[in-house]
Amino acid sequence: MMKRKLLSVALSAVMVMAMVSGCGSSAQNSAATTAAASDTTTAAGTTETTAAASGDEDNIIRIGVVCTLTGGKALYGEGAKNAVTMAAEEINSSDSKYKVEIVDIVDDAADSKQAVNAYNSLEPKNPEAIVGAFFSSVTLPMTELANDSGMLLLATGATNATVTIDKPTVFRNCFIDPYQGKMAALFAKDLGATKAAIIYAKDDDYSNGLKDAFVENAAGNGIEIVYTGECTTTDTDFTAQASQAVASGADFVFYPCFLDTVPLFVQQIRDAGYEGVIVGGDGWDGSDTTGLEDYFNNCYFTNHYSSEDTSEAVQTFVKKYTETYGAESLNGSAALYYDAIYMMVQAAENGGGTDTASLVAGMTGMSFSGVGGDIYLDENGDAIKPIVINTYEDGKIKFLKSLAPEK
Amino acid sequence: MKQERQVFTVAFSLFIQSLINGLNQGAIYALIALGYTMVYGIIRMINFAHGDFIMVGAYTLFYTVPLMVDHGMPAWLAVIFAIIVCVIVGVAVEVIAYRPVRGAGSLSALITALAMSLFLENSAMVLFGSNPKSVTKIFELGSVEFFGAKLQVKYLLTIAIGLLMMVALTLFVKKTKLGKAMRAVPQDKQAATLMGINVNRIITITFAIGSGLAAVAALMYCSTYPRCTTDMGSMMGIKAFIAAVLGGIGIIPGAMLGGIIVGLVEIFVKVYVSASWYEAITYSLLIIVLLVKPSGILGKNVGEKV
Repeated sequence: MMKRKLLSVALSAVMVMAMVSGCGSSAQNSAATTAAASDTTTAAGTTETTAAASGDEDNIIRIGVVCTLTGGKALYGEGAKNAVTMAAEEINSSDSKYKVEIVDIVDDAADSKQAVNAYNSLEPKNPEAIVGAFFSSVTLPMTELANDSGMLLLATGATNATVTIDKPTVFRNCFIDPYQGKMAALFAKDLGATKAAIIYAKDDDYSNGLKDAFVENAAGNGIEIVYTGECTTTDTDFTAQASQAVASGADFVFYPCFLDTVPLFVQQIRDAGYEGVIVGGDGWDGSDTTGLEDYFNNCYFTNHYSSEDTSEAVQTFVKKYTETYGAESLNGSAALYYDAIYMMVQAAENGGGTDTASLVAGMTGMSFSGVGGDIYLDENGDAIKPIVINTYEDGKIKFLKSLAPEK
Repeated sequence: MKQERQVFTVAFSLFIQSLINGLNQGAIYALIALGYTMVYGIIRMINFAHGDFIMVGAYTLFYTVPLMVDHGMPAWLAVIFAIIVCVIVGVAVEVIAYRPVRGAGSLSALITALAMSLFLENSAMVLFGSNPKSVTKIFELGSVEFFGAKLQVKYLLTIAIGLLMMVALTLFVKKTKLGKAMRAVPQDKQAATLMGINVNRIITITFAIGSGLAAVAALMYCSTYPRCTTDMGSMMGIKAFIAAVLGGIGIIPGAMLGGIIVGLVEIFVKVYVSASWYEAITYSLLIIVLLVKPSGILGKNVGEKV
């Protein structure tokens, strides 16, 4: 009897402890986000009154921003925060009819649970639109919340196909995973390739998505698929697939997998005697080419954006950004968040107001031109935009060109 | 007719290429399996940390190959450093971790080996970071054309080194005094001690040889798959362990045969069956062999000592 009582006391003590520690951490988080918020409002230099409730027509678009400010992927959030601040400053000092106010920049810690907290913490500040987040897994729970409350959510880097499906107020300004497969097929046609071999990771959604889209679009671009090989994301041996690709007589190899296996694959297929084109997706970005510089000749991959892009919009952005914040945090995330703020202004112009409903109306089917090129939002709210094709020179990534979709 | 012939030529060159690819991979497995087999043959212990010795060797190569190239020496000479580092690590593991638990039964030894494997992997993660590292090109040997197949000379070299190591080890164990002592220890430890054999020394030497082989395996591995990760040892270790059991654990030619079989089966399944089936088929092969001949292909059926 005594023993049982003791046990229940101990158990309740543990529960209390857990609750206390839980509160502690969330209090810390909100303190951190407030600090980040006050920091950004001063940085943005917005002098407008913040008392205006949403719905009042004051020609100010009140935007909440969600990005990753802590953890291993914080560099993306740093770029985003700088770019958002820079865009807001530019718009507010211009003669644009609509101005923007960044109500808060909150941290999602690249975590789906934290993202919900971050999203909810924006609510009391009455934003008229929310920009973010950069990762699909983080964005997905936020899209549910936005859809339920009819909030305009403009995602940036979230490329998973389901992010915008059946959610009329959710948009994004990046392309979706399968889109890269489609563009790779277009690029193959561009190069004059006729026989393609595909090697993809069967255990990975991203890889499957790119492969399926490539296969779907191959015939239309005059490409015959002569070999389809499977691998897994943990494989190190590709000699079997490589020798089969060579035996199939392919003049184009599509390898939509992630950076860690790319050097292994490239070396092994070159060793097997393949000298033609090898193409990958944005998963190739950051591949280690040390010691394999000559193997990486004639390799290409598609990406969201390149800082070497010669277009005027990109060069102006890159110049201004690096002058203010340095080049370290200048990444694809910065470019996408930067465009997102400008897209909000254009949505207000199209929709004729800064309330959420007008912004949604203005954003639906929008055509926009920015750092990410000429974007068109399709019926799902996904961006149809030119894709950047990079190649390698002496093992270093080099911008080749941007490829626009066929209308 | 002509087209038929061309189809045949392509199919034949694919076969030859697959054969060489399989033998190359098999030879790497075999080199690792030799290490498992030697240790098992002497102290009846499965050294699960053996795969991680490869990882140690690969990281040593990652750091020393550029040094060799900078000093104008052939890159493969870096294997000397790899052998030294691996032997030091192998002997240290034996003396510090395995020797104290040797009397405590085979389960303790097994658990210690697993712990050692995790310890090495996690230390490597702290020391080298979790990002994969690319090893600089080791061999510049080019390739030869053979019936339309492009065969890398380095693959052929790996196969040759594997065979050479096996022959050398067999001769060493059969012909030298040290080899004789190695064979005596597993038969009867106490009797061996009475014959003036220092059992601990023999075991340490066995570990040194096994670790040195792991360094050579790391060189051959890195020439084909130039990437080191901190967990590369565990998967390779399992494959090599399968190879050792398949051929008959404790028997040196068995390790070689087992390695070659596992390598060939993997590549041929990938080419002619389906790439996603190769691991399932490799493991079922092991189960079938164990059901039909529990002591392995070359193993002798000896009654369990009671």
